[in-house]
Amino acid sequence: MNYRIDRIILILFLMFTGAVAFVPYLVQSEYQLRVVTVVVLWVGIAGCWNMMSGYTGYIDFGPVVYFGIGSYVVAIAMTKYSVPFFPSLFLSGCISAFVAFLVGIPTLRLRGAYFAIATFAFAEAMKQITLEFDRTFNVSFFQGSDGITLPISNYENSFFFYCILPVTFLVVFTHYFIEHSKFGYALKAIKEAESAAEISGVNTTANKLVAYVMSAFFLGLFGAIEAYWITYITPSDVFNVQKTVQMVIMTLLGGMGTFLGPVVGATFLTLISETLGAQFVEYYLIMIGAIIIVAILIMPSGIIGGLKIRKKLRFI
Amino acid sequence: MDTVLAQAIINGLLLGGVYAAYSAGFSLIFGVMGVVNLAHGELIMLGAFTSYWLFAYFNLDPYLSAPVAMGLLFLFGYVVQKYIINRVIGQPHIMSYILTFGLHLMVANIAIKMWTQDFRSITTSYSGANAAIWGLNIPYARLVTFIVALFVTWGLWFFLMRTETGRAIRATAQDKEVARLMGVDIRNIYAITFGLGAAITGLSGSVMSPFVIISPEMGLEYTIIAFCVVVLGGMGYMPGALVGGLVLGVAQSLAATYLNAGVSVAITFIILFVMLIIRPRGLLGKGSVA
Repeated sequence: MNYRIDRIILILFLMFTGAVAFVPYLVQSEYQLRVVTVVVLWVGIAGCWNMMSGYTGYIDFGPVVYFGIGSYVVAIAMTKYSVPFFPSLFLSGCISAFVAFLVGIPTLRLRGAYFAIATFAFAEAMKQITLEFDRTFNVSFFQGSDGITLPISNYENSFFFYCILPVTFLVVFTHYFIEHSKFGYALKAIKEAESAAEISGVNTTANKLVAYVMSAFFLGLFGAIEAYWITYITPSDVFNVQKTVQMVIMTLLGGMGTFLGPVVGATFLTLISETLGAQFVEYYLIMIGAIIIVAILIMPSGIIGGLKIRKKLRFI
Repeated sequence: MDTVLAQAIINGLLLGGVYAAYSAGFSLIFGVMGVVNLAHGELIMLGAFTSYWLFAYFNLDPYLSAPVAMGLLFLFGYVVQKYIINRVIGQPHIMSYILTFGLHLMVANIAIKMWTQDFRSITTSYSGANAAIWGLNIPYARLVTFIVALFVTWGLWFFLMRTETGRAIRATAQDKEVARLMGVDIRNIYAITFGLGAAITGLSGSVMSPFVIISPEMGLEYTIIAFCVVVLGGMGYMPGALVGGLVLGVAQSLAATYLNAGVSVAITFIILFVMLIIRPRGLLGKGSVA
């Protein structure tokens, strides 16, 4: 029964993605295309956070660091070494993943609030280092607070839409894979009772590390694509803690550790900020604060999470 | 010892005193309830604004309005814990982080609506006055804050160790189920603890008001520093906030004197990251580990 619903959901999801791919031909204005692109981008970014923190329960407060690293790798590769976009894009993902591997080994031993604070500290430290590196060592590499201007592309918005869509699709599909593999069960076991999982023979460190590195790889890709899209990056922009906060809130609204949670949460919040944010600029952040508090108090497992519990579904 | 170095260390110690004063409440709240209060900076902001408005309308000296700030913040903290945060006790800790982040957004942005984003300051007769000893400058206002930090640490320690409520708070922190079986009203103790943490934070916000810039958006950076101080000293270990504050203050002051201010911020976060990995229990090794 559950498996059948699960198949249906997968097919619906594939059809939906296929439909989304035609959006550039349907929209009436560049603005609409831009909004859709931003929604797809955030679905992917929130998904990266969910992949690690949603399933393992390890709250990462510094995922934005891999987004930032991705942006900087693509910017430096393209401007300083004139590497074309797609090789630089791949390089961004790999370097993000490599940094995550090095950082993950010591930090993933920490638990609870300590892991959250350590990841936050790492992200802020990286932001300050990119800001101050040049001034301290008298070189011109990261270009500090001046930021880097990437080569301006001749591509239309639709090009970036088609760059982002496959990556987001991969992220969501990875969730589906996680839900249906031993790896996913290991992650969920870590969330429920880490010590018990370890005793039962789950290699907890390796599983956490794989999830962490995977999420960093995708975040690096998103960072790189966005940098090329916006064409101008500064450390305070790409390492902005606000991005982390958005990922967390979107996933939480949708439902942590669910396959569709980030999709629903990110779409909901991006559309709200496009509509309410544009109309009530002054009250926008107060409302977001209120939405967060109300969401935590009345539906702590999120929109999809709540549905999952009520309908007793296993995989969505 | 040359004067520049001595001055840098003195500045660092005084800065550390300020850090310690406003981090003690953060440590208390974490130690007892495991709540990482991301709205901590807003408590400082509310304390500082209490003093600001009393100074602006009644010309009341910030040191005299400090008890008022303490009282108001106690009420605020008590109500917030009792009616909001208590509802997520027993759920995963992430809920409390996100809930307090929501509070941070609401309080800070409502304050912006009410009081605008202007930067404000309180100028008293002693603002900017220094005591000069052996060619070193010691600003009076910071010295007072330093003394308040010592007093707060001592007072909190005394309260937790010697009073009946303090004993109940410690019992709850150690094992809330057993404490409940012994007849402790957990929810009430939580509300009192949060109120107490908020009160001492409001007090420090108030005594800092003569020398800091007051604005509705000041909170977040104070929350971040409080994080750092409390990790250095050991999460949940009260005197740790004092040690952590002083160590961090001196480290930042030396980095700012001999390198530059931006590097000193980078060093703060590098210290925080490295400390968590090699010594999560804090410099003194007495903090709690989740």
